[in-house]
Amino acid sequence: MRAILAAIVANLLLLGFILLRRTYRRRYFAKHDAKAFEFRRNWDALISGEIAYETWRAKRFDRRIVEAMVLDAFEAAGLEESARLLKFLRDSGLIETQIFEARSHRGWRRHRALIALGRTRAPEGIPALAEGLRDRAVETRLAALRGLERMACPEAAKAILDWVAGEGLRVPALPLQTALIQCSAERPQLLLPYLQHAEKATREVLGRVLGEVASAALAADLLQFVEDDLPELRAAAARALAHAQPHLAIEVLSKLTEDSVWFVRLRAVVSLGKLGHSSAIPALLRGLSDANRLVRLRAAEALIGLRMDSVSIFQKVVELRDRYALHAYLMALDNAGLHATLEGEVRSTRQLSRPVREALLEVLRTDSLPVEQLPPLKTSAVAASQP
Amino acid sequence: MIRFLNLSNETFFYYYLVCNLMYLTMLIIALKTSAMHQRRLQSISPDWIKGCPLAPPISILVPAHNEEKSICPAVRNLLDLDYPETEIIIINDGSSDKTLQRIQEGFCLRPVRTVYVPQAKTAPVRGLYRSEVDPRLVVVDKESGGSKADAVNAGLNAATAPYVCVVDADSVLERDALLRIMVPVLADPKRVVAVGGIVRVLNGSEVEGGRIRRVRLPRKSIEAIQVVEYLRAFLIGREAWARGNMLMIISGAFGVFRTDLVRTVGGYRASAIGEDFDLVARFHRYLRDNHTDYQVQFVPDPVCWTEVPSDFRSLARQRSRWQKGLLDVLWPNRDMLFRRRYGRIGWLALPYLWLFELLAPVVEIGGLITIALAAWLNVLSPDFFLQFLFFGWAFATMISIGSVLQEELTYKRYNDWRDVARLVNLCFLEHFPYRQLHMLWRLQGLWQYLRGDMTWKPLKRQGLEQASTEEGDASPVEV
Repeated sequence: MRAILAAIVANLLLLGFILLRRTYRRRYFAKHDAKAFEFRRNWDALISGEIAYETWRAKRFDRRIVEAMVLDAFEAAGLEESARLLKFLRDSGLIETQIFEARSHRGWRRHRALIALGRTRAPEGIPALAEGLRDRAVETRLAALRGLERMACPEAAKAILDWVAGEGLRVPALPLQTALIQCSAERPQLLLPYLQHAEKATREVLGRVLGEVASAALAADLLQFVEDDLPELRAAAARALAHAQPHLAIEVLSKLTEDSVWFVRLRAVVSLGKLGHSSAIPALLRGLSDANRLVRLRAAEALIGLRMDSVSIFQKVVELRDRYALHAYLMALDNAGLHATLEGEVRSTRQLSRPVREALLEVLRTDSLPVEQLPPLKTSAVAASQP
Repeated sequence: MIRFLNLSNETFFYYYLVCNLMYLTMLIIALKTSAMHQRRLQSISPDWIKGCPLAPPISILVPAHNEEKSICPAVRNLLDLDYPETEIIIINDGSSDKTLQRIQEGFCLRPVRTVYVPQAKTAPVRGLYRSEVDPRLVVVDKESGGSKADAVNAGLNAATAPYVCVVDADSVLERDALLRIMVPVLADPKRVVAVGGIVRVLNGSEVEGGRIRRVRLPRKSIEAIQVVEYLRAFLIGREAWARGNMLMIISGAFGVFRTDLVRTVGGYRASAIGEDFDLVARFHRYLRDNHTDYQVQFVPDPVCWTEVPSDFRSLARQRSRWQKGLLDVLWPNRDMLFRRRYGRIGWLALPYLWLFELLAPVVEIGGLITIALAAWLNVLSPDFFLQFLFFGWAFATMISIGSVLQEELTYKRYNDWRDVARLVNLCFLEHFPYRQLHMLWRLQGLWQYLRGDMTWKPLKRQGLEQASTEEGDASPVEV
């Protein structure tokens, strides 16, 4: 009997809770909306300080609304508006409050404060966020990392890098990489000294970050990593070389297309494609016969993206006598919607003898290699473009 | 005889008690886990993942067999998803209706040579197409292999991304569903091998252009009762099992898996009836055999809305198929039971599934029969029986209301208070006679499996936009 009563009471409590919560929430949001509307109506007066800060800062409910509205405004603000909002945050004391909360709160309140502080993009928040990185709880460290990611400035990158250099990887790699990519995009050279002294796992992470943010300016610095033991670094170097001068990059990238690690070859092939230079064709043709299908596909896309000597390149592809290479090339051709264009070009070209032309058209029709080797080329831009 | 009846009634009583205590434990774990998840969400914005340059690409696999009514809205919905890089692979699994034509008309398909490595064996592929409107859309046209698993395998062969997401063609994903389901993967890509999202009932809600416009509870009681069931199964069951890394089922309607691992375990088992459950079971086996540190997670906020059966015949078929699928996976994996190598999977998750899921219909129907027999032989204590009945009803209702509360506390998709009131009402009403019918369907499934009847009987579908806006036959089914 007691068990029945307990179950009935539990049911009633659950129902009562649902009912009360619904009622409370309805009232809370009605009040919240009314207040938010009032602030929105007087937005300029609020931000400029015409409305005295004391009128809303002392009330926790009002302060939270203003804080949320300002942080949301930051997301869409341009430079001028950001500066105005930041001035408001500083003058009104909201930044100090957030720094205090990010330092003194515990648990999810601290996580929220850390994220909010990051969203302000106020540099004075960086030390508090860096403290969060050294917390014992991984969730707090992640929140601090996300906060720093929102800062998206080199100072935040430095705070993260100092922490990683001192304590190693104390968060999963992906959020760390994402945060570093955001923060070091402006000044990727920040990563180089840390890379030189980091241990293997950290080096891997930093290598991947460098691969994402490396710019043309770093190309010369990255040449030192072309023969690094770590494939991530070789891949990063390959990626950065996409922005370098072709005369400097093509030879190195061609060498990297023969790397033992597939994603290094992939990066090299993609970079060669981005350079868009005819001297990259032999290396790309080699990439077309790669053992890895993604490398083959990217090499094919790069060859098609060159938009030069399509007929000669196609003839070279057929002469490779590699059906995987041919398949990758035709697939990329299809994806680019250029199948018919190439067919037309083969039909109209005068560079080819009639049997070669027929053989190539047959390949385009049947998607399979001709039984016999093609007759020798009449002329070929591909042959002329050896580096 | 009387001794036998007393003994069996006592056994059923303790079975029921243990079962409900487990549900209660799961409810408490689920409430705690989702509260933690809610807090965590405050520091993760899906928009940030959208801008994450390292977010891995995802191949979305959509097996479609005779889905002419829902395929176009479903594809539009998938193309609209927020995620940095996706490819959508629709597998036309030998449809006899106009599924392929509908996609062709809607998305201008042209035949292509795409990467198709037949790593997993499937029924012959007739052609591969890519959309001219959106090149992310690839269609694999194949002969029917007789199972969803065969179709998914064909999609898997064409997939090029490191993660695959399997979605049903009669389902609608919320726009940020992929961003949300990938949160655990992005946080720990080395350990997280699979993530399940929540599947909820689409019937009754308003869908327009493949997007949910307004969430409503279905009018028909048979559909609305399934809302309570889905809430209970996902927001309590899966949440709690995933908390202990013991999640055994990732719904076939919406789940993300690491592509290399799916290929390593040999893809989906084409002959499996419950291919989704089978795959996760093989994941656990493979990873534990290889002493890998891994996680199979459940995320309760990336929502997939799916059409549920709206008539008794279809519902009966679906439930008996699920039961067949359960036995079809549990039986071949019986060697995982109580083996140290399989840890908590072998000691807790699988025994639970055997005892409280697979054998539940046998025990419940057996219990009803012995109660009737005891009453006939005049050995049933009416007081005890009524007290037990009343307690059982109140306790089971509490678990169901717990799942409604969980929904209220966290995701709150039903905004209209009348919907919530109706949901609560159904928590009280579902126990008679729906529950008994449900047990009979499940028992029927077991019987069919033991007889070797593995036929797949189609369910009646209305199509996404019809299912959602259909006002019902205006004759609510009494339950």
